[in-house]
Amino acid sequence: MERCAVIGIGQTKYAKRHEITMDGLVRWAAKNALEDAQLDWKDIDAVVIGKAPDALEGVMMPELSLADALGAIGKPIHRVHTAGSVGASTAISAATLIESGMYDTVLTVGYEKQSDGNATWALGGGRSGSQGAGGSFAPWIRKYIMGSGAPPEVGIKVAVKDRLNALRNPNAHLHLYDITEEKVRESPMLWDPLHFLESCPSSDGAAAMVLSNKAGVEKSPNKPAWVIAHAKRTEFTQFPGRDTVKPQAGVDCAEALYKKAGITNPRKQIDCAEIYVPFSWYEPMWLEGHLITPEKEGWKMTLEGATEITGDFPVNMSGGVLSSNPIGASGMIRCLEAANQVRGTAGEYQIDGARVALGHAYGGAANYFAMWIVSSDPDPTF
Amino acid sequence: MANRQGTEDIAIVAVAQTPSYRAYQETEPLLLMSLTNEILTETGLERNDIDFTIAGSCDYLSGLPFAFVSNVDGFGAWPPVYESHLEMDGAWALFEAIVRLQMGDIDTALVAGSGKSSPGRPREIFALQTNPYYHAPIGLDPISMAGLQANAMLDAGKATEADFAEVVSRSRRDGLKNPFAQVAKDVSVDDLLAEPYHTQPLRKHDLPPISDGASMLLLARGDRARELTDKPVWITGIDHRMESSHPGLRDLTVSASTKIAADNLGIDGGAFDVAELCVRYSPEELLLKEALALTDSVRINPSGGPLCGHPVMATGLTRVCEAARLIRKGEAGTALAHAASGAALQQNLICTMKGDA
Amino acid sequence: MTEFVSTSYNLEYPYQRTTGPVTGPFLTGLRDGKLLGIRCGDKVLCPPLEFDPDTLAELEPDFVEVGPGGTVENWTWVSEPTRKHPLQEPFAFATIKVDGSDTPMIHAIKASSVDVMERGLRVQAMYREERVGAISDVYFMPESEAYDQKIPKGKGDVPISEHLISLDFEENFAPTRRRYLEGLQAGKFIGQKSPASGKVYIPSKGYDPIERVAMTEADDVEIGFKGTVTTFTVITPVAYYGQEETEPYIRASVLLDDSDTPLGQQDIRNIPIDDFRAGMRVEAIFRPENERDFDGIDNRWGGTGGVIERWEPTGEPDVPFEVFSEHVY
Repeated sequence: MERCAVIGIGQTKYAKRHEITMDGLVRWAAKNALEDAQLDWKDIDAVVIGKAPDALEGVMMPELSLADALGAIGKPIHRVHTAGSVGASTAISAATLIESGMYDTVLTVGYEKQSDGNATWALGGGRSGSQGAGGSFAPWIRKYIMGSGAPPEVGIKVAVKDRLNALRNPNAHLHLYDITEEKVRESPMLWDPLHFLESCPSSDGAAAMVLSNKAGVEKSPNKPAWVIAHAKRTEFTQFPGRDTVKPQAGVDCAEALYKKAGITNPRKQIDCAEIYVPFSWYEPMWLEGHLITPEKEGWKMTLEGATEITGDFPVNMSGGVLSSNPIGASGMIRCLEAANQVRGTAGEYQIDGARVALGHAYGGAANYFAMWIVSSDPDPTF
Repeated sequence: MANRQGTEDIAIVAVAQTPSYRAYQETEPLLLMSLTNEILTETGLERNDIDFTIAGSCDYLSGLPFAFVSNVDGFGAWPPVYESHLEMDGAWALFEAIVRLQMGDIDTALVAGSGKSSPGRPREIFALQTNPYYHAPIGLDPISMAGLQANAMLDAGKATEADFAEVVSRSRRDGLKNPFAQVAKDVSVDDLLAEPYHTQPLRKHDLPPISDGASMLLLARGDRARELTDKPVWITGIDHRMESSHPGLRDLTVSASTKIAADNLGIDGGAFDVAELCVRYSPEELLLKEALALTDSVRINPSGGPLCGHPVMATGLTRVCEAARLIRKGEAGTALAHAASGAALQQNLICTMKGDA
Repeated sequence: MTEFVSTSYNLEYPYQRTTGPVTGPFLTGLRDGKLLGIRCGDKVLCPPLEFDPDTLAELEPDFVEVGPGGTVENWTWVSEPTRKHPLQEPFAFATIKVDGSDTPMIHAIKASSVDVMERGLRVQAMYREERVGAISDVYFMPESEAYDQKIPKGKGDVPISEHLISLDFEENFAPTRRRYLEGLQAGKFIGQKSPASGKVYIPSKGYDPIERVAMTEADDVEIGFKGTVTTFTVITPVAYYGQEETEPYIRASVLLDDSDTPLGQQDIRNIPIDDFRAGMRVEAIFRPENERDFDGIDNRWGGTGGVIERWEPTGEPDVPFEVFSEHVY
């Protein structure tokens, strides 16, 4: 198996982008990634793009109409689609192109231009009465709260933490300078028990990475983020007795990931994590759901400040999905921000000395999971 | 530019497909479930013996964002499985599966393609694949693009309408022998040419039918392949390439991306017994034959090809299945399968394979 | 007595496409009755692209007026236009090299008959009376059939171009779903019991996904009307195109007794939000037979449409969390 590393990262500013086209959006991120890697379009062997349902923009199979913008004419280009987890699935797909030894340098892009359409409409299958993603997850969050005994302020704390972190990230969509717990508590209750300010925004944006093998790393100017392990797991959306709070697929995915990486104590051995938290309570839920902390303890980690940038297990230093959510890109942004951390390129939200970082995404009815571990060390031992 | 083929030996060890239906009365997951069960029964495997599963399908065909999520019901995902999905023809899922197996750490991959074109109006839907500013709003559809491509070939003297009719006549006659075919008949070139134009210079019979259907295959690596079948079909190469989405920048009288893929694989167009090509519109056969430099000794589309059944998102993978099936039956030793996406052969994939000597 | 044969739905949204620095001026030009090309090295591209197709470098928005005449390089005749085509009587799609452009565009030609179509045909850009700054503002006609138009210049730019995408779908109800609907019409909940696992699915999709077994009419079972609320949320409606809801309402999942999958998407409007809780015992009260509305139930979406009048609390003691929590979804 060939080794794979992230050698270039590019992002757009996440916000409603009215001044450019979708072509412009993806090119911007792709160009930034190429510049970071000090490569040109011609150096790319293959392109992998990922995005959420086409109905979000009304462009079907966009690899066909975006290939020109991404310099992919005459090259292999394909498009991954695994619902909300797509950004991470796409990063993983791109990594396998390198790890297989079949391609040397790959460009991967995740994007969404939600302002062209309407996310709530699309997520509801284009019907009236769409409950949106929040409406689907709120009942399960209620179940988590009932089962874990968590106090209501847990979700609010996450909402504030991630938005304060976002103030350090110039690319983040939401820069809520005056965010406080009170403001979150007073914001409208969209899907009880989720307040409006506990929910992610609807963003436009593109995120890109250039991946290469050992030879490519040797030629690249900046510190690489080595891909140490990746894993994906899927289960049915619905079946008798399905645990929607701690899905088995999420547990299995984490176990497979840690095993591949040689990680035996994720809380201690992973320095920081970018976890897909579109609704505040998913932070404690995934801390438990991915075996970072025992069941019913996730909310304690949050409450005691362990997941703050100053804590022992920082989560979503970039502001996370709660601060920027171009759905097709969000999973890739998690993977890319994990890479930023171990490359030392996370600017104001850098965790000092971060050596091993987790990038994570989930999607669908919390039945799709995709995760990766990156490190500044090609062969980290634990 | 690196596009190597990898060092692992990977083989198709089982194939399954549904017939092409004008309108399948049940749901897509059931289409897939029948194939999953067929492959598991044939190989004697349990569901969790399969290391990786990947499918191709397209939500827009059924008009429902996230339609692909229900398809997971068809493959089985309990206990949880390692799987992925592309919003593309299953042939590209095959590509990802081959890439994944080339990593050398897992042994088996289940690959599927499926789609029901019957609920919607494909000619309206597929216009949405084009440039969203310049072409989608005027409903520029694949049939019209195929008409432009056909006319370009006639104008350039590269084909005649009789050549198109020959492809249709031969394909639909061959379809009579294919139990999965939807449209098959014995009709002469003269009778075809007597039909009125539909999208001139194409006639209705130059177009594919509207179909529902699915296909699936199981890949295995090295020794595992030999454990699972005594008739492995070894993948000797896979490559895919894209052309511009601006048709004005393309020469529609050649299939440039197919040629790039063929050149990268270093294939010899005379070296195949069989070529299963994604010929949705009859002129495409001539373009592809030229781009692949197929000699007259190569049997093209013995299955009848997509002109006999076009379950969009499975059609390309079905070409691989048909070619592999012939090799497993001992009726061919080497084969090339081709898949296409986008209007007028904008994107093309080639997969070459051979049986044991 | 409704016959459940097929279900149809429409996927429709008016997309607001941001046009950017190159496509924007081009579409603005169309609104104003002119064609623009963009300079690319020593070439002119019409329609304009945001970057050089050969070097991939961004192009400066340096425009030059082209046309109104052009020459047909290739064409096809659409004898049966779709509803999405720009012309609704037979017309040609053609590759047209507009005068002054080095690259051709693809657009529609309104011609009196297919007989006038040929390579080399001279055509003229024509503009619709109502122009919105979209590619459909323009079309072409053979020069011999065209006429002069006076196109008034519009106000401002076109930063957003709207594309109303509306697609219709229709498919037959799958047999299991059809029987489920017939059951609802008869005032019954019909689920299916897996012959492999014995689990009862409602509404059933016609198969047991865990055992990978298709189910048939022989597996249909009738289920009672009482159940337990397993979880819920309160939705405050968000406005969007096509949204009909305005007031907050409860959306709950109810596990009917003797079934193994809860009925989701149950909208509760008769029980005060403060009184509502998971674990509550409720009973389905159906609407009168002739008032039952099956909208929203198709092969993919289950639920109960407008069949249930309300869920009535039964007054039985609440079911403990540990018992119902297994069936939240």
